[in-house]
Amino acid sequence: MDSLAFALFLCLILVLAARKLSIPPIPLYIVAGLIAGVSGLRLVQGDTISSYFGHLGLIFLLFSSGLEMKPGRFLAQGSRLILSGLIDLNVNLLLGFFAALALGFSPFDAFVIGSAFFDTSSAISLASLIENRRLLSSESETIIWLMLIEDLIMVFLIFLVSAEMENPALLTLKIVSVVVMIVLLVRLIRDPLINVLKRDDYIPTLLTFSAVICASAFAMALNVPEAVPLIILGATLARTDLATLQRITAPFRDVFLVILFFFFGATIPLSAEVSLFAVGAISLFAIISKVGAGVLIGRLLHHSNQSGVEIGIYTIARGEFAVALAAIYGSASVSTMVALMVIITSIAGSLICRYGDRLRSMASRGFPQ
Amino acid sequence: MGERSVELPGLGTKFELDTDHGDKVAVIFLNTGKNQLYLLEKGRDTPAVANLTPAEARRMGSVLTGAVIEAEKEAVEIAFSALSDLRIRVHTYLARKNLAGKCIGDLQVRTRSGATIIAVARKGRNFISPPPSFAFEEGDILVLIGERDQLSAFEREILGI
Repeated sequence: MDSLAFALFLCLILVLAARKLSIPPIPLYIVAGLIAGVSGLRLVQGDTISSYFGHLGLIFLLFSSGLEMKPGRFLAQGSRLILSGLIDLNVNLLLGFFAALALGFSPFDAFVIGSAFFDTSSAISLASLIENRRLLSSESETIIWLMLIEDLIMVFLIFLVSAEMENPALLTLKIVSVVVMIVLLVRLIRDPLINVLKRDDYIPTLLTFSAVICASAFAMALNVPEAVPLIILGATLARTDLATLQRITAPFRDVFLVILFFFFGATIPLSAEVSLFAVGAISLFAIISKVGAGVLIGRLLHHSNQSGVEIGIYTIARGEFAVALAAIYGSASVSTMVALMVIITSIAGSLICRYGDRLRSMASRGFPQ
Repeated sequence: MGERSVELPGLGTKFELDTDHGDKVAVIFLNTGKNQLYLLEKGRDTPAVANLTPAEARRMGSVLTGAVIEAEKEAVEIAFSALSDLRIRVHTYLARKNLAGKCIGDLQVRTRSGATIIAVARKGRNFISPPPSFAFEEGDILVLIGERDQLSAFEREILGI
């Protein structure tokens, strides 16, 4: 328990410092974990408690992504937006996958790395847009919707990664029945549910917390990927009282995610197999692939390369789902790779966004037109 | 003049206005409760941004609609920007023992002060536009409308303050 206490206290100081300096806190949590944990000073140890809390971070993240999924939303935005999501997926997943294969990872590990490659941190990206005052531009709208589509695709990728072992027919059957059960259940108790959520005591919170934990337990009992019931639960409950559910879920998700990030760093035995060169190469590719995908999307939606670069740089930082994926499904070398890639890209991404204008004016002075 | 309202999932909602002059004004209501006001001058690249609390946003809103409202504890003054001389004051007063049992007609509120009683709140029940036959009880809260002089006259003549 003292590991947890130390970790939380340290993370609190880090996030306060990060806000003061306007830098994203996520890489700081991971770095702090790396320094304090098994690969560094050995001040903290991962244990079942911290990994359980970290896991809660993932399930609340999945649930809160589910809350944002209103099927009609995507269709209303038009096919070009869905197309950009697919461009993002193809460019990044493939580049990450093949780069990892080339560096010697197994196909499964390479797929995990590829998925991490694909996942931009919505938290860092949105925070950068607000901080750099970009919300007026149409590119920012594209970026925000792209984050949402990425979440949807990411859930699918998590599902693929976690569903490795089962017989596909049986698995599909189980998934379909889980989905149907949840949809019917929520529809059945919809009205009393809305009434409970309107209460101003702690019952709505208890209800939400229990529902999320139960969904996760249900998934484990049936041996179905957790992403399925959690996302479906989120999507169906979103139609009851979205604002209340978002208000209740956010603190649990945010606090447990901090624990996830820190102990992710703390429990990675920095694998000696992973060379500095490999990390550097992957991170460089990570930056290039997002900018590249961004340019393609920019040309498709805004008919401009410059818009594309803007979209690209705001999606460089990798994040929450990548860490969660690596923490739960990755081997030591995969975790090492993902952790370092997340740290490097989130710092690089936020610096490039903040000083982008200066870089651009320096570049245009250097290359007079 | 073009305007649009856009949902920004995960962030909030944005209302954009392209003015006839060529400037762009946008208000962003963030899910966190804070608001941002963006101003992009015609021909410029980077907008200016102000962060507003909900209270500040409401204040700017009421200023921009032309009805300037100042609120105090017992009174509200309303001025319309097109009619700057017209200032309407709405004031609340507590009825004490000296008003108990008397009715509006007897007290001749309008004749003697010029102010009008538009509502009375009594223990959770509200009476809007009470008739002259309405009798006060101790503890009633009276809502009056009038100019400053009229309200002062009411305070002097009727309430006895």
